Amino acid sequence: MSLIKKSENVDAQKVSRVEVTPVSRVTENGEAFVMTVELPGVGDKDLELVLENHTLSLTAENALQSFKDHSLVLNEVAEVRYRAAFDLPDRVDAAGIKAAHRNGLLILTLPKREEFKPKRISISKG
Amino acid sequence: MRAYLNTIGNPWRVFDELMSEFPYELLNTAWRTRAGRYPRVNVWESDEGLAVEAEVAGVEPDKLDVAVDANVLTIKGEREQEDGGTSEFQRSFNLPFELESDKIKAAVKNGMLTVTIPRKAAEKRRIAIEKL
Repeated sequence: MSLIKKSENVDAQKVSRVEVTPVSRVTENGEAFVMTVELPGVGDKDLELVLENHTLSLTAENALQSFKDHSLVLNEVAEVRYRAAFDLPDRVDAAGIKAAHRNGLLILTLPKREEFKPKRISISKG
Repeated sequence: MRAYLNTIGNPWRVFDELMSEFPYELLNTAWRTRAGRYPRVNVWESDEGLAVEAEVAGVEPDKLDVAVDANVLTIKGEREQEDGGTSEFQRSFNLPFELESDKIKAAVKNGMLTVTIPRKAAEKRRIAIEKL
């Protein structure tokens, strides 16, 4: 399932941060799609989720520490803006979407609409 | 025959064709997964010591292990995967100085691990010079 759509718009107001598509994974069970987005260094306040016209957009900014009187000798992590947009399929019940933010992960539970959930069909003895 | 002629015209064509079919998405995923196993870090240094900030998103704090052996700092962790399995990662750093191993501090917040390592104060000793 390819839900991921690369971000198209660049926010003109804050240009200092590079925009990055966060690493994300989607799994599926009978009840829901579960999407895990890796957002290391992002606090609750620096994370925004917007659902509009079946598109779920995510914007987040990570915060790094700077150590006084220290010099940066190895720099692999930058302050970035995480941005992603996901086109939700019709099977998703948009009203029931839940989001949890923990240990640098955003876990989105996208429940399936009732009519798309698997149903067991009982077999009657003939 | 046509393909053959084209190949002569542009010797790179075969290569281009191969590359155009290369599943870049796959490479991207593999790279990202690998990056996830090998946490990215920022390292700061001063006269007092070293500070390391590492990306460890998705790792429970009790599944993180920070250890120092001689002058080698090792960050280890175990991550739960979506399929119920676990994956381990490890990264070691050779530190350029002796450290106060009992004063190392580590904290984790929002999937970022911070380790601060004080430098061991150099033992200053004057060496008496014997007159021969």
